[in-house]
Amino acid sequence: MIAPAFIWMIVIPLLGAPLVYLVGHSGRRFWGDRVSRYAALLVFGATWVAFVRAAQAASMEPTADFTWGGMSLALDGISLLLAFVALLLGTFVASFSGEYITGEAGQEKFYAMLVAIVGVMIGLGCATDLFNIWIWFEAMAVTSYLLVAYYHTRALSLEAGFKYLMQSAAGSVLVLFAIGIVLSQTGTLTLAEIRSQFTAGAPMLLAGVLFLVGYGVKSALVPLHTWLPDAHSQAPSGISAMLSGVVIEAGLVALLRSIAPIAAQMTFWGPLLITCGLLNMIGGNLMAYAQTQVKRMLAYSSITHVGYMLVGLGVTFLLRESSGAQGGLFHLLNHGLMKGLAFLAAGALLYTLHSASGDHKPLMIADLAGGARRYPLAALCLSLALLSLAGLPPFAGFMSKWLIFKAGFASGDPLLWIVVALVALNSVFSLAYYAPVVNLLYRRKPSKVVLEGRPLPWSMVTPLVILSLAIIALGIWPDMIGWMTHSAGEALVAGFHF
Amino acid sequence: MIISPLTISLLVVCGLTGLGFYGLLVTRNMIKLIMMLQIIVKAAVLGIVIAGQGNGQLNLSQNVAITIIVVDTIVAVVALAFAIQIRRQMGTLDIRELASLRG
Repeated sequence: MIAPAFIWMIVIPLLGAPLVYLVGHSGRRFWGDRVSRYAALLVFGATWVAFVRAAQAASMEPTADFTWGGMSLALDGISLLLAFVALLLGTFVASFSGEYITGEAGQEKFYAMLVAIVGVMIGLGCATDLFNIWIWFEAMAVTSYLLVAYYHTRALSLEAGFKYLMQSAAGSVLVLFAIGIVLSQTGTLTLAEIRSQFTAGAPMLLAGVLFLVGYGVKSALVPLHTWLPDAHSQAPSGISAMLSGVVIEAGLVALLRSIAPIAAQMTFWGPLLITCGLLNMIGGNLMAYAQTQVKRMLAYSSITHVGYMLVGLGVTFLLRESSGAQGGLFHLLNHGLMKGLAFLAAGALLYTLHSASGDHKPLMIADLAGGARRYPLAALCLSLALLSLAGLPPFAGFMSKWLIFKAGFASGDPLLWIVVALVALNSVFSLAYYAPVVNLLYRRKPSKVVLEGRPLPWSMVTPLVILSLAIIALGIWPDMIGWMTHSAGEALVAGFHF
Repeated sequence: MIISPLTISLLVVCGLTGLGFYGLLVTRNMIKLIMMLQIIVKAAVLGIVIAGQGNGQLNLSQNVAITIIVVDTIVAVVALAFAIQIRRQMGTLDIRELASLRG
């Protein structure tokens, strides 16, 4: 059997990760620390080739699947979307992190794990049975624990890593119980077969709830989010961008895949997801408003954005039409870009203002005062990211939120109109913590920290500029990526039919 | 009343799960927390094997069980590595001391 094209985008990073480690470890003496970053970029380049070929193959023949032993993988719209976001952010983070982690020990491990986590996430998107999803998910989780605690001699990162590990591991045990229940009820773990073997009843309901809670820890459903701000603020900034931009969304994809066959015959999952989404938005907004550190504020705003995605997806679960999911999944992609940019820009400023001079202080919002005078490009990129997160046109964040509103309004259901109104209000409320940062950057006198800051290296600014241009471009021409979000939405709806 | 093997196994699953979650809530020592997590995972493994046996999928469920044991060992190793580092850096294994990140 010839392996379909998409397998290579999983195989290349997974085989590449140990190679990056070996090259970085043995080549360090000759070429210095840079070599592991270049090796990682090379692997990402090869993976992009595989991605393009897989996307071309998918446009001709949408159903590609592959079975090897107990592992079965298939490519659909959602996998392609997740692979795109993971690969894009991985590449940017690898090119950004060069200066950021200069002088740290074990850089080859950092890049090897970065490559591995991208491969594992692409695999997670392609998994087609409950247990395979769990395996990929757990592999992603273990890699992300290690990346969060990358500064393994600092007490705070270790604390964040340990908290993250305990909560996430407790969540994944619940998923195992759910898998046990599904196996006892249907006798199979393959998603397509579960739909046909399904008998509605209390056990399956319990399994669904366990999936929601278990994967909900990783996708930061309020009140299971408490690990998130700690992990996001203590990780290296590139990893914060990865965690917030793709890892929690990958948790969301695992959740969707697992409950879609159960939700096929139960209608209340739509309202449940919408309620979770509203809780996330309100909770995330209120907590983000109270923050004084930039990275913690961005972390809480991720919780809010998971809420927007959940509302969009919940509308699809309720109405069985793909419009809501298209909005939600488009927001998933946009959030990856916007939050990736925001964390990288904040990371660049954190680097120049604190880390480069050797202190480990967090970047406070007050430190940013007058930042635009000294770091015009970084300040501009951070402001663009924040305004896009707040959903102002003409940026990408507006377009995806608009699609979610539209899906809610088109339903004609008054209750959904209230939901949409709440989403819009939350979106406006989020300006209350984004706008002051922009104001601070541009209209205040430079703070003492800014005046003493180091100059910003170009290798950090370039990824920021490219990501900013992507956000503006997606806001103006959302159709550019429409083929991907459309097929992803259709793939989710196809999960309900049997 | 005759107690079937199935009932006994299910009772063991419930007992281990309850014990593990109770332990997670009351324990303050990191190493013990990791042990509690392991106990719950073992309960889940037993549950999956029983589920498979109940409807003739014993092969599938045993494969799943072995894979879970492998994956979970990796998680435990990483957790123990964190615990060792925390003990080295902060001189304690008490999770109540891990309270500097708030808000």
